[in-house]
Amino acid sequence: MKHPKLHLILADDDMDDCEFFMEATDEISDDCKLTVVNDGVELMEFLSAENAELPNLIFLDLNMPRKSGMECIPEIKSTEKLAHIPIIVYSTSLDHTVVNELYQLGVLHYIQKPAEFANIKRVIEKALILLNDVNLSQRSREQFIIQP
Amino acid sequence: MPLRFITNSERFLKIIFGLTLFVVLVMGGLAYRYVKELTKSIDEVQHNYEVHILLEKMVSALKDAESGKRGYIITKDSTFLEPLLTNSDTFQYSLAQLEELTKKNPEQQKNIEELRTKVEKNLAIFQKTLQLANNNNIDSPEFIEAFKEGRRTMNSVRFKIKQMAAHETNILGTSRAKSYKNLNNAPMVVYYVIILSLLILLLTYLHISRSLKILKEKNELLETFKKSTTQSEIISKHGNWIWHVEDNIYEYSDNLYRLLGEEPQSFEPNLENYLSFVHPDDIEKLTQHVEEMKENEDLPFIHYRVIQKNGIIKHFKAYAKLLVDSDGYKRLLGTTADITDEIENYRIIEKRNLELERSNKELSSFNYVASHDLQEPLRKIQTFLSRLEDKEKDNLSNNGQLYIERIKSSTSRMRSLIDDLLQFSRTNKSEEALADSNINILLETAKHDLAEIIADKRARISSDSIPSMRVIPFQIKQLFLNLLSNSLKYSREKTAPIITISYSRTNASALPNVKYSKYYAYHTITIQDNGIGFDQEYAEKIFVLFNRLHNKTEYSGTGIGLSICKKIVENHNGYITAYGNPDIGATFTVYLPIT
Repeated sequence: MKHPKLHLILADDDMDDCEFFMEATDEISDDCKLTVVNDGVELMEFLSAENAELPNLIFLDLNMPRKSGMECIPEIKSTEKLAHIPIIVYSTSLDHTVVNELYQLGVLHYIQKPAEFANIKRVIEKALILLNDVNLSQRSREQFIIQP
Repeated sequence: MPLRFITNSERFLKIIFGLTLFVVLVMGGLAYRYVKELTKSIDEVQHNYEVHILLEKMVSALKDAESGKRGYIITKDSTFLEPLLTNSDTFQYSLAQLEELTKKNPEQQKNIEELRTKVEKNLAIFQKTLQLANNNNIDSPEFIEAFKEGRRTMNSVRFKIKQMAAHETNILGTSRAKSYKNLNNAPMVVYYVIILSLLILLLTYLHISRSLKILKEKNELLETFKKSTTQSEIISKHGNWIWHVEDNIYEYSDNLYRLLGEEPQSFEPNLENYLSFVHPDDIEKLTQHVEEMKENEDLPFIHYRVIQKNGIIKHFKAYAKLLVDSDGYKRLLGTTADITDEIENYRIIEKRNLELERSNKELSSFNYVASHDLQEPLRKIQTFLSRLEDKEKDNLSNNGQLYIERIKSSTSRMRSLIDDLLQFSRTNKSEEALADSNINILLETAKHDLAEIIADKRARISSDSIPSMRVIPFQIKQLFLNLLSNSLKYSREKTAPIITISYSRTNASALPNVKYSKYYAYHTITIQDNGIGFDQEYAEKIFVLFNRLHNKTEYSGTGIGLSICKKIVENHNGYITAYGNPDIGATFTVYLPIT
């Protein structure tokens, strides 16, 4: 892989999903460093630690105990040193209103967790390639959802 | 108009009364004048008659004196002189009387003066003749001269008297002619006045009889109104009352008693008796309101409860309006309605609303459970299956691999069922706002989503240009998506699907199976295909949730897609119909109101 080592964070309370995600990233590239946190509180603690190793990209599940993904987004966006980190929501459901709300909140992309493992790999791959784009500003609404 | 006639008639009667009074006064005045005229005329005749008598008397006295004188001269018998002796007094008296009678007539006065001198002269000559006769100088020329002189003055007196009589007759004549003229007119005038009076009387009669007729009609109308009010009071469960504030007198309508569960007019209508029915908790509120009603012209409705004698509690709503007439007399016109049923209905509705709210909440939490909690394990089954396939395929027997395939198809079917159900339950009106949308673009987006299957089936889709509409864009896209995928799914084997989308306008009256519509016209979008079609018998059934016409092994499908279509169209106040022809094709028609 040509690109430098990427630091990704996955915030998801589902252990199986975390495992699938790790397996997928392992299969995609050796240059990825994946940090896994299991809820919103953990995520915010990690990000706001003084000598935090800030990630290049956050994969965020919405439905988590203690603090949901939806609560984390405005918090991240309003913190100066975190605001630039792109967020990709990685969630089970695909609710029209929720998706619109996330788009408004400034989330980069939305991924509905695929069922097939091959598709999981595909969407993560797509997300990483998109991240290489020079222009990281927000995508149009049509491109918002990443399909496998 | 007739009512105004009656108000006018009051004025009319006043005028008529004034007119009649005037006519009677005129008649009285005329009668008085005529009677006076008549009396005057009689007086004049009497007066004339008296003057004549006096004059005649004087003439006859003169004649007596003359003949007495002659008799004495011939016979020298002094008895002949007797009339002569009295005559002088008679003349003086008669002249005085004449003077008195004619004192208003200067001409006659003058005549009387002349007469007096003439009579005196005559009497003097008389005396002279008598003296000469006594001295037996009858044959002397002096006597003859005196005798002749006596005759001359006698004639002159007679002439004067005649003249006076003639003058008097003349006066009587003129005055009679005058009064005759006046009195001749009298019957005519009286006749006219009577005719006029009769006319006025007739007019008054006609007017009054017309007024009475109108009053009678109005009375009947009032009676009808009263009856219909009584009837409407009973039907709409309300009662009317009047409170004469100053006199503190109440009037209650019959139905107000019935509302209290009492016989009409069974107790004296007053506040105290009424309050005895009012619920103890509401008495204070009501009495306070009653006090306020006296002053305020317009108060809001008041609600209170009454307890009937049989213990049943009723809810009343009352309203009153203060009327102050021109004399400052205050009256309160009130209406009291029994709203027990309304309140009970309202409570039932409130209860049902609460139930609905609760069940809606349950439904939305179900949505959440379905969307998340159900999908998650399902998705994981699929993921693990795919891992199993990827990693352990070689370790599985053919049967094992077949089972995996079966599990996969079942899970994917379960997945689409959950997705469609969610789609259906999310298709709510409130979710999205209406927006002016380009329908052609929405159709293109739907086609784009189906691009893969369109290409696979080599389907040809043609469409008319559709005007912009005010719709929920996301739902209309879903509508096209569902209808198109329906047509693509149920295509005939070995026949490329041809789907024609056409647009037209339909008047509300031409809508099938719609009797009443609040819109005049509808956008009409028709989606026609050449697929397997269906029996028209099932045209209604296919829109019902989970209703499928085909075995799921023949055609995949959840039986939710068309239900979603129906729901979307209904969200837009429109209609959707289906027309099927087995092995020829199906036509779906969507009617959306033109707003």
